[in-house]
Amino acid sequence: MLPPFTHPRTGQDRHPARPGHRPARRSRLRTAALGTVLLTVLTPALSACGGDSAAASDTPTLKWASSYFPSHWDPVVGGSGAQFRELALVYASLTRTDEKGDAVPDLAESWDYNARGDRITFHLRPHLKFSDGEPVNGAAVKAAVERAKKQKNSALFGDLTSIESVEAKGLDAVIHLNQVDYQIPQLLGERVLQIASPKAARNASALDRNPVGAGPFTVTQIVPGTKAVLRKNPDYWDAENIHIDNVELTSAPDASTVVSGLRTGVYNFADIDPSQAEAAKKAGLDVFVQPGFNASNISLNVNKAPFDNGKVVDAVRHAVDRQEFVDKLTFGYGETTDQPFPKGYVAYDPASADAYPYDPARSKKLLAEAGYQAGELKLNLVVPAEDPQAEIVQSQLAKVGVKVTIKIDKNWATPFFAKDLAFSLYSTTGRDSALQTLTAHFGPHGPLNLSSPYEPSGFEAAAAKVRRTPLDSPDYAEVLRAATRAGLKSEALVFTYSQPNLIAKSRSVSDLPRNPAHIDWTGVTIGGH
Amino acid sequence: MVRRVLSLPSGRIAVCVLAVIALLAASGPLLAPQDPLAAGDTPLAAASGAHWLGTDYLGRDVLSRLLDGSRVSVLGSLEVALTALVVGVVPGILSVYLGRTFEWLTLRLADTLVALPFLLFAVAVVALLGNGITQAMLVTGVLVSPLFYRVSRAATLAVARSPYVEAALVSGAAIGWVVRRHVLAKVLPPIAVALAQTVGTGFVIVSSLTFLGIGVQPPAPTWGGLLASDLGYLGQRPWAPVAPALLIMVTVWACNVLADALRDVSGEAGRALLNSRRARAHRLDEADPAPAGGTR
Repeated sequence: MLPPFTHPRTGQDRHPARPGHRPARRSRLRTAALGTVLLTVLTPALSACGGDSAAASDTPTLKWASSYFPSHWDPVVGGSGAQFRELALVYASLTRTDEKGDAVPDLAESWDYNARGDRITFHLRPHLKFSDGEPVNGAAVKAAVERAKKQKNSALFGDLTSIESVEAKGLDAVIHLNQVDYQIPQLLGERVLQIASPKAARNASALDRNPVGAGPFTVTQIVPGTKAVLRKNPDYWDAENIHIDNVELTSAPDASTVVSGLRTGVYNFADIDPSQAEAAKKAGLDVFVQPGFNASNISLNVNKAPFDNGKVVDAVRHAVDRQEFVDKLTFGYGETTDQPFPKGYVAYDPASADAYPYDPARSKKLLAEAGYQAGELKLNLVVPAEDPQAEIVQSQLAKVGVKVTIKIDKNWATPFFAKDLAFSLYSTTGRDSALQTLTAHFGPHGPLNLSSPYEPSGFEAAAAKVRRTPLDSPDYAEVLRAATRAGLKSEALVFTYSQPNLIAKSRSVSDLPRNPAHIDWTGVTIGGH
Repeated sequence: MVRRVLSLPSGRIAVCVLAVIALLAASGPLLAPQDPLAAGDTPLAAASGAHWLGTDYLGRDVLSRLLDGSRVSVLGSLEVALTALVVGVVPGILSVYLGRTFEWLTLRLADTLVALPFLLFAVAVVALLGNGITQAMLVTGVLVSPLFYRVSRAATLAVARSPYVEAALVSGAAIGWVVRRHVLAKVLPPIAVALAQTVGTGFVIVSSLTFLGIGVQPPAPTWGGLLASDLGYLGQRPWAPVAPALLIMVTVWACNVLADALRDVSGEAGRALLNSRRARAHRLDEADPAPAGGTR
């Protein structure tokens, strides 16, 4: 029996029990205790029963908890960052990539270049419609490209600099280029040109809240920043290979609670933090790494002191122990990289590997040669949010006598892209076009080149050669690696590691196609449906 | 009052706990067995001889970080309490004497400040002025000050209508002298109770803000920040959040117990306590052998 509650100082019962009512009170206490015990025991059991509710349901439903829930549903505003995967539920593109990373048909069933390589014609599939009934044709492609190039808040205009104009000819979209560029089929994939209905796009702010595309799903409800409900688009060109009827896309809660959500059936698919991988495996979930192009870097501005001194730059390069990033931030799921691509990718240049190995003694010597004794060099590392990467950089540079102060700037993007910062961090999810990744990092006006307009010597010529080389040319891989080699002469970037695209899913969700950096739902089944 | 607080068991416990916390704040960084910022080779290690509370996700010694972080938490909460004290008490007392306009203005201001959610406001101020615990705590102190305003005003009102205060004013005593001589002595006990409570509230606010990563630049350790980072690695170190959570909980509990003890020994309750002691001492005296010649 529970003792009556007694006030610790007065010694009086707060609710003195009346003798005649004691048995009834005991009974109530027993009932309450029993109820609590039953609730405690049954809740996990019932939750576990509901664990594969999607599997038990008649309609296969994907319940996706995403760390990249779109803040914008207009693909032009959303840009080519990580959110394109979620937007690809709604929007289709001219091309997509296959498991080798090559461009394959999507809305366009084929394409061809002219003899000079400065004009490409995409031939669209017939009888396709956007979810608002508008036809998918050359005019829709023209409108999409022009909007991406001209809309005020477009995040894509920098990706389309090779495109001079677009001509609509029925189901053909003829793209005139201002230079020879064989990268266009890879460029105009899901990342850069998800095509919205031109009618819906006339009101861009409405499109940003209510997306209208020709992708595998259509939106039925959006709760901004929180949840989106979608259903299968029967008019999608490849609808017969989409076996998911409904999608519930949810903004992922705290990383530590995602696995619980997966275990109890609240979600059946989620991108997870590497720290949660073991818990997910123990919970019987299917944990896998989707291939990708992620690469993190330390961005230096060589136009500002002290990085205008090459010896300081080299000192930073030799002070970086890449393996520490992999061990502490990816729990072994990631890998080191000293290039803007993971190892093994076609653009990764083995000849440039390990050009600046971890060597703190050499780093200290270079700093001394640059005129900095231990503790004399003080740097501000500006980042947008609390980031363990920054703490590792701080700790590693402290070992060579550089004092780094981490500054969190919530408006970091403005000075970073205006190239006003001297020292920062950036992580890219890469691009389908390897050349686009290279120019973004090393080009004179590349958005990820903190040292604009600086570019390493010979890079522009190497990049132009890549553009002039057809993707199916036997020389393509070597030409591309030569451009990587030229880019890596840049003093503005120190690449560190590749973050894994770690995903946990219920076993009722079948395996996904291993398209690098993409999440493709073609052929995926849920609960065997 | 100090002796009366220490005469209560709860008061003694609270004072002891808070003295330890104050010691940690003063000398925690010196007591830290290792560099709290130095990343090690064994991230998320369990408790061991080398690391009594294990290591965090970058291999840093958790005990050293807890000790080093105590200063920020303590100073932050004191900053909240002292700001609220200064901003609240002075107008609270003066509102009784400086006329109806001042009274009306300060009352409306206090009502307005009470309506503002201080945590959100602190976040907004940090966004505006830059990430720093000082500005966040100053603003929070101002928003908490209506508590002191109301407590000091209520106590002053009670004293101001006393015959001896009115007699002093009629005799030509200046308001400042009356406040110093008669009002402060009566107002101090409830303010002391409010102060102890506010220090506890300050701990919760500092911990909440640092839990959210606001106010402190990484990698500076704080109790709230340690709690937040530990929650991300529950799979590897399920017991890790216990130490910072326990420290926050015990400190806030000690502040509240001290506030209770101060309340119990001040005012009517305090006089009753004093009287009961005197009575007990008197009874002890009575137990002595009766002197020759009869009883008193």
